[in-house]
Amino acid sequence: MKLELGYIQIKDIQFSKECKVENGTLFIDPEVVKAFMYQDDDVKAWVKDFSFDIAKPGESVRITPVKDVIEPRVKVEGQGGQFPGVIAKVDTVGSGKTHVLRGMAVVTAGKIVGFQEGIIDMTGPGADYTYFSKLNNFVVVAEPVEGYQDHKHEYEHAVRIAGLRAAVCIGELGRNVTPDETQEFETFGIIEGAKKFPELPRVAYVHMLQSQGLLHDTYVYGVDAKRSLTTIINPTETMDGAILSGNCVSACDKNTTYHHQNNPVVAELFAQHGKKLNYVCNIITNENVYLADKQRSSDWTAKLCRLLDLDGAIVSQEGFGNPDTDLIMNTKKIELQGVKTTIITDEYAGQDGKSQSLADADPLADAVVTGGNANQNIILPPMDKVIGTLDYVDVIAGGHNGSLRPDGSIEAEIQVITGATNEMGFGLLSAR
Amino acid sequence: MANIGNPKDYLILTNNPLIVECLQGKGAWTIDFRPELKFRDVLVTARDLVYAGHLLYTHPLSGSVKPNETPYKSVILSVEPHGMDNDHAIMIANAIEVTDKFQILDWSHSEQAMKDFRLIDYTLICGAIGFDALSGLSNKQSL
Repeated sequence: MKLELGYIQIKDIQFSKECKVENGTLFIDPEVVKAFMYQDDDVKAWVKDFSFDIAKPGESVRITPVKDVIEPRVKVEGQGGQFPGVIAKVDTVGSGKTHVLRGMAVVTAGKIVGFQEGIIDMTGPGADYTYFSKLNNFVVVAEPVEGYQDHKHEYEHAVRIAGLRAAVCIGELGRNVTPDETQEFETFGIIEGAKKFPELPRVAYVHMLQSQGLLHDTYVYGVDAKRSLTTIINPTETMDGAILSGNCVSACDKNTTYHHQNNPVVAELFAQHGKKLNYVCNIITNENVYLADKQRSSDWTAKLCRLLDLDGAIVSQEGFGNPDTDLIMNTKKIELQGVKTTIITDEYAGQDGKSQSLADADPLADAVVTGGNANQNIILPPMDKVIGTLDYVDVIAGGHNGSLRPDGSIEAEIQVITGATNEMGFGLLSAR
Repeated sequence: MANIGNPKDYLILTNNPLIVECLQGKGAWTIDFRPELKFRDVLVTARDLVYAGHLLYTHPLSGSVKPNETPYKSVILSVEPHGMDNDHAIMIANAIEVTDKFQILDWSHSEQAMKDFRLIDYTLICGAIGFDALSGLSNKQSL
């Protein structure tokens, strides 16, 4: 399966009556985006109104509470459309050509469950912890209808759909724009790949998807990952919008839709594909709460690793606590099949960094890459402008009563920052 | 005697009133509602049941709300003592150790936060037992 991504570099966003991408600037009429979002009945039913803002790198702006981050894209050639099974029809994606509006994102913000949404600072010390501070962000703030408190699930669904629709609406503007740069990605059939790279180690990416329950969900072609057995997927499908976030989990290690579209493990494995290794496929598995599901899913992961005759597997998780058990079960069982593993995770090692980092461990899990310690303390100075509301800062995971100080500064753990310790390794923290 | 995995064998140990309001009498499970227990106490009670041979059906650290950030915790164990499972004993012991690492946060001043904590815990349990959380919520007056 071969996918060509055409990157259109977006250097600026401006509100305008005319919608277009020209010379690296996105001109956008928020009313057009709003009308497109409201074409969906659920959005109509649960979102009273939207407000729009633009946040650029270096500006004294704080966006909170952040729900999702999405990269606008458009399918220009080949099968399928954006977010198959949710927005576009369920056709298989991952081949043909897709244009990407690079350097920007749609950020959805607003209250859902306050303590589970994060902060993006566009400047200052907080900006150093999130890649999203480096993007031109088109921010959509959703205001719920009265009585939404008793209907959090419906409202979360509506905001999720609204964000995806905004990204589709904007991505469409890139359809007829010539990309600044193009890149091709290709994986092969099992036998085809083995013949092509007989000397190279066979490596797959075991991609664990958050699936603990409502408000902790990930969707694959529109299917709730909780209801699926472990399965295989072409890496180019994940790059082409097949997996998206329906999460209200801790900000620092939430895999937003942007992370799924730009998964750095996939990018790095492709960079080494045919050189140091043979990138066979991705294995997607879930992180259910029910222990029998954990056993079934991790057994299945190990079986697939063996069936694919892998030499190595990279395993990434999403979340802390319950998912740590899936992570260790997967890793241990894969290793017992004779397949070497490396884990990517983050740590909750206490503010001093001295506590055990994960809620589970095993001697076979002896190769670990960390995304950072989520308990690390940080002081975020006040910003000139807040997009969204500071109402929830005290209750965001990683904050505490009194986190928000009278001068508008915030004392908290880096957990509060969206993407700070991402467990795909999509972060700015490094030991290098 | 209920087979392993049969809903009749589900003992939902909880300090979350929403579990009782939405799930009581809606399935074959048994609910042990213990409002007096704190987050950690629920885990310790579960641990003692595991030592007595009851199985864990759900992970004790379910949910991305960190231990002690939420006061609510529900764990599903087996009604029947099927025999002590070493892995479950380790899992529940680890969960208590992890809980002790997190500072206890008091959100009782924010009724909305408390409602959200109850809702998250409830929906996670619904996901585990395959119960439609939305229909459970619509059966009650308000959260």
